[in-house]
Amino acid sequence: MANLTIDNVKKSYGKTEILKGINIAIEAGEFLILVGPSGCGKSTLMNSIAGLEDVTEGRILIADKDVTYTSPKDRDIAMVFQSYALYPNMTVAQNISFGLEMRKVPKEERDVEIQRVAELLQISHLLDRKPAQLSGGQRQRVAMGRALARRPQLYLFDEPLSNLDAKLRVEMRTEIKKLHKKLGTTIVYVTHDQIEAMTLADRIAVMKDGEVQQLGTPQEIYDNPANLFVAGFMGSPAMNFIPSKIVEQNGVPMLELNASETTALPFPNPDSLKAYVGETVLLGLRPEMITEPQPHKEGQAFVVTTGVEVEVTEPMGADTMILTRINDAEINCRSNPAYPAKPGDVINMMFDTSKAVVFDAKSGRRLDV
Amino acid sequence: MNTNTPHSGSKSARPSGFSLTDWMPKIVLAPTMVIAIVCIYGYMIWTAVLSFTNSRMLPSYKFVGWEQYERLFNNDRWMVALTNLGIFGSLFILICLFLGVMLAIFLDQKIRAEGVIRTIYLYPMAISFIVTGTAWKWLLNPTNGIQKLMIDMGFVNFKFDWLINPHMVVYCLVIAAVWQASGFVMALFLAGLRGVDGDLIKAAHLDGASTFTTYRRIILPSLKPVFFSALVILAHIAIKSFDLVQALTNGGPGYASDLPANFMYTYTFSRSQIGMGSASAMVMLGCILAILVPYLYSELRGERSEK
Amino acid sequence: MKNNVVGRKTSGVDKALRIALYATLILVAGFYLMPLVVMLITSMKDAEEVRNGTLLSLPSYIHFDSWEKAWSSACTGSSCHGISPYFMNSFKIVIPAVAISTILGAINGYVISLWRFRGSNLFFAALLLGCFIPFQVVLLPMARTLGWLGIASSTTGLVFVHVVYGVAFTTLFFRNFYQSIPGELIKAARLDGAGFFTIFYRIILPVSTPIIVVTVIWQFTQIWNDFLFGVAFSGFESQPVTVALNNLVNTSFGGKEYNVDMAAAVIAALPTLIVYVFAGKYFVRGLTAGAVKG
Repeated sequence: MANLTIDNVKKSYGKTEILKGINIAIEAGEFLILVGPSGCGKSTLMNSIAGLEDVTEGRILIADKDVTYTSPKDRDIAMVFQSYALYPNMTVAQNISFGLEMRKVPKEERDVEIQRVAELLQISHLLDRKPAQLSGGQRQRVAMGRALARRPQLYLFDEPLSNLDAKLRVEMRTEIKKLHKKLGTTIVYVTHDQIEAMTLADRIAVMKDGEVQQLGTPQEIYDNPANLFVAGFMGSPAMNFIPSKIVEQNGVPMLELNASETTALPFPNPDSLKAYVGETVLLGLRPEMITEPQPHKEGQAFVVTTGVEVEVTEPMGADTMILTRINDAEINCRSNPAYPAKPGDVINMMFDTSKAVVFDAKSGRRLDV
Repeated sequence: MNTNTPHSGSKSARPSGFSLTDWMPKIVLAPTMVIAIVCIYGYMIWTAVLSFTNSRMLPSYKFVGWEQYERLFNNDRWMVALTNLGIFGSLFILICLFLGVMLAIFLDQKIRAEGVIRTIYLYPMAISFIVTGTAWKWLLNPTNGIQKLMIDMGFVNFKFDWLINPHMVVYCLVIAAVWQASGFVMALFLAGLRGVDGDLIKAAHLDGASTFTTYRRIILPSLKPVFFSALVILAHIAIKSFDLVQALTNGGPGYASDLPANFMYTYTFSRSQIGMGSASAMVMLGCILAILVPYLYSELRGERSEK
Repeated sequence: MKNNVVGRKTSGVDKALRIALYATLILVAGFYLMPLVVMLITSMKDAEEVRNGTLLSLPSYIHFDSWEKAWSSACTGSSCHGISPYFMNSFKIVIPAVAISTILGAINGYVISLWRFRGSNLFFAALLLGCFIPFQVVLLPMARTLGWLGIASSTTGLVFVHVVYGVAFTTLFFRNFYQSIPGELIKAARLDGAGFFTIFYRIILPVSTPIIVVTVIWQFTQIWNDFLFGVAFSGFESQPVTVALNNLVNTSFGGKEYNVDMAAAVIAALPTLIVYVFAGKYFVRGLTAGAVKG
């Protein structure tokens, strides 16, 4: 187990900057997830940590040791790849022990290690098979086994679940989480799936255009997104962004809402909006904060109920998503399936702004921080 | 948000010096690189240089400008060789393409024993042009070959003496070359036909297209890349043809069936006209590049856009 | 493509078409087979039958005399030892040339596909062009080079030439094959601690059997069938069989012996024909490699 420090790492190909100065520090035993849209530089960062790509500037430290220019094999890192990258000509056992063999570990020790890993991942019955004879989920386990066998200081996972079908993906997600709890390993994990990021991570680094947009715990990132991009990227369905004019009522800035009637929403941190009175900002409100009227919330400080016109309903089983239009933006609301709503109806919905955030409409900068 | 404090002195020094792992790929590629630079491009330039000199029996480096090219294009034998290449090349390519496409379509009709037939059509490609030439020389020989066969069978007036007729001998080359290469074109197109999306054909049938229409309007147009590949390969074979002429006609009668490759060989090695021989080689290179460069360019560009 | 014959009742017209189709295919097969058949028949006749019979008349009984003569005593140019010494020469040239060019091609393809570096693609494109140049532009400089190296007119010289001009093709074959190997496999092996050659030997080579077979067969056929380099760079002692065959057929003393010519031609064609019959699938794959994508 080791900590990892990424210190102002930059990477460019000619004039294109892929990484624009990344700073991340991870504690030993921490599970860090790098998440972002494709092309954000997360895979390049991963390859740089592994030493598979040179960085242009900056340092990478593993266990406080500078490894920026150390060759991959000497960094004591293991990696699980998206394609699994199992050696096709070797059996499962040979795949798992190849790294040990390369490090000249004696045969007996290798065999012990193969058994340990196989039991841990429940693949003992597959040891003599070739990768081509395995299912996707089994290959995934073998790929993890290969990483675990060497007991490296640091594990890198590069979108390890994205080739699995939806059901298996959820299963393996849980499995990885359990393994992490059990072994207490340091993991850097790349994904573009924000649910994976939320469920697995100790901390998440949201990346875009070669920069870390926000680094924090899943809940911090969900509740307190640093900017419009993070707010829109994390969470499914995505956060609603309602273009809203700041109006002053009794000296308190409020957010104007044009649904079936015009009303104004209170804001938990109204002072931060003082300077924006008369301007239009983007109000960020997660779908679960716009619900059918809930009696127990009635009368709370940041709750307003108003009528909205239903455009489409999307039953999801546990909830029904109600699509409506407010201030000329399409808005997702999450309601109880029992709450009657038909397209064309005007129904009452409850807006809870206690966790609302606001952004500058042009720059996407968070305004209430 | 992260703080981007300036990191004074935090940049670790890149180890200067020789890392074997980094250099190994380049070291390994080096022999081939040397081969390519010297034996392909170097020699090409060398021959180009010689074509501008008055070299005869031995290379000399007295430059005479375009004189060798002027002599070349005033040389009757070269003009015959070029004309022959025009006739031979275009007929060879057209007939091979036509036969190849037709045979591929025929073989695509769920033919019994397809494997055997395919094997028979393609085996000439495994044989040397010298053997092909030897065999066809025997077949086309008027005294013992096909002509005699037909006369003995009762067609007393049958005449098939192209091999010794200076005006027709080039068509003998076409026959033998088509025999050798058309099966290959068939194999290319058959592979292409088998690669056509089955749903496409089902869709065409549902739209009411007959088998003939489906081939003409849907399948063959989608084989355009195969068509171009075959065209380039055949043109390439035609321009480089040397062995077949040597074995089948030895350029004769006289020099009526010479092709540029044979001209080049004769002038460079037998007639001690290195300058003119080199000039003729350069013209051949020009012909091939004219066909190849656009093709490779589009291929490589296509490959890049796929990624 | 299997579904293009729509499953409706076969009418009389369809049946007739089908018969015509088979007839055409068999006729064409006859065209392709005829030269080989004629070669075989002729090679088994005696001189008398060759003179009096026709192409397709069968020998009265099967002689192998002309085969024996072609093999060991027919005159090729000025010497009269048959084509057997040259047949052996061809093997002396083909075996090392195929081995070396295949190994070089494999390692080149490995680097170009899986260890890309700045300029490696450009290099590949340049090499690719080398596959297609007419060899006439290198003949004279190569003849000079072989002279300087002291390997002119020897089988060693021909091995060298065939390696030099074969490596572009072998590289192309292996490069295209290795393109389908995911780069992650190399990354995984590097993290596992394997180096450049270990990865090649332990991971890449074991999955390369099909392309090795294709390349070996392709190179074998190409080099065995070569005439241009053989005639330009060999001496009397080091001629490959194609050159010897051509000399035998064009030798004018002592009258034409077509049966011996044909026997010699069949012998010269035999090795590649055998390879074709037993490994035709790989041969075709080599032919179409690079020509048809995918």
